[in-house]
Amino acid sequence: MNVVGQIALIFGVCLAGEGIAAVLPVKFPASVIAMILLAGLLLTRVVKPRHIEGVSKVMLANMALAFVPACTSVMQRFVYIKPYLVPFLLICVATTPVVFLVTAWTVQLVLKLQRRKGAGRDA
Amino acid sequence: MLKTLAATPMFGLTLSVLAFCFGRWVQKKTKFVLCNPLLIAVACIITFLSVTGIPYSDFAKGGDIINMMLGPVTAVLALNVYNQRRVLGEYFLPVLIGCLVGSAVSLFGVLALCKLMQADQMMTMSMMPKSCTSAIAIAIAESHGGDAGIASAGVLAAGLTGAVFSPLFVKLFKIKDPVAQGLGIGACSHALGTTKAMELGQIQGAMSSIAICVCGIISSILALFV
Repeated sequence: MNVVGQIALIFGVCLAGEGIAAVLPVKFPASVIAMILLAGLLLTRVVKPRHIEGVSKVMLANMALAFVPACTSVMQRFVYIKPYLVPFLLICVATTPVVFLVTAWTVQLVLKLQRRKGAGRDA
Repeated sequence: MLKTLAATPMFGLTLSVLAFCFGRWVQKKTKFVLCNPLLIAVACIITFLSVTGIPYSDFAKGGDIINMMLGPVTAVLALNVYNQRRVLGEYFLPVLIGCLVGSAVSLFGVLALCKLMQADQMMTMSMMPKSCTSAIAIAIAESHGGDAGIASAGVLAAGLTGAVFSPLFVKLFKIKDPVAQGLGIGACSHALGTTKAMELGQIQGAMSSIAICVCGIISSILALFV
């Protein structure tokens, strides 16, 4: 599909996401709904990868650019953050290895249980 | 002259893109993880605005246009899920349970720590999704009364920690399974960690990029119960 068509499709999915978010009774991010929607369309082959691939690849490769203004807006909050700065960084840094460890352990445990079950079935 | 130029949306647009290009160039030259393009770009823009005295609201006229792309860049993450569908199918349960437990620990861990240090509602809601990828973290934070700027700063801090230390985590905690390594890295440090996971191996890279999307979805759901 040509570039404009691809953009229209991606924007359309995002618009649908906004629509669904507006009618949902809970605060669920529209962009995440759009992602789930697009993944569903791709997996059910309603949308083929070639329909969005060209534009999507450019967007994914340059994704961080989209965060520049949002991240810059933190300067408006300097006065607000100042008393929180040390605990804020500490929380972000310290919880990271914990999340890694817990996730990795859980995955290893599930894999082990699955393998044991699989081995039991074979025997 | 500068004031007139700064008042047009083109100013924020140009400054954002230029600063990001510069950040990329520095990263390419130094190849140092902490020389993150986003971090450098944001530092440059804040310095430039402070030195010239141009108000943030002028920058935001162009910045808001880029902000509108946050939705679409999140949506196209679906392509990553699609491209990894085979691995996802093969390891569906470990991915789902691992990401669920990881996201829950991250979300509620941050909540508990914020409560402990008596942070107010805005700070707590902004920090809560720090293990998600920026686009999703900003969306979660904003829909719960958090601030996009603080949320992305938290994401950046968590991501850089993972990008720098994840190979060390793997060795230190003796995680041998490549699937567990990849999911762990993706769950704790999203896209920034994924670059490191890819260096560890193909399975680690694929698992880490799956974890970004799955953890994003699970965190959005868990955040509803906060």
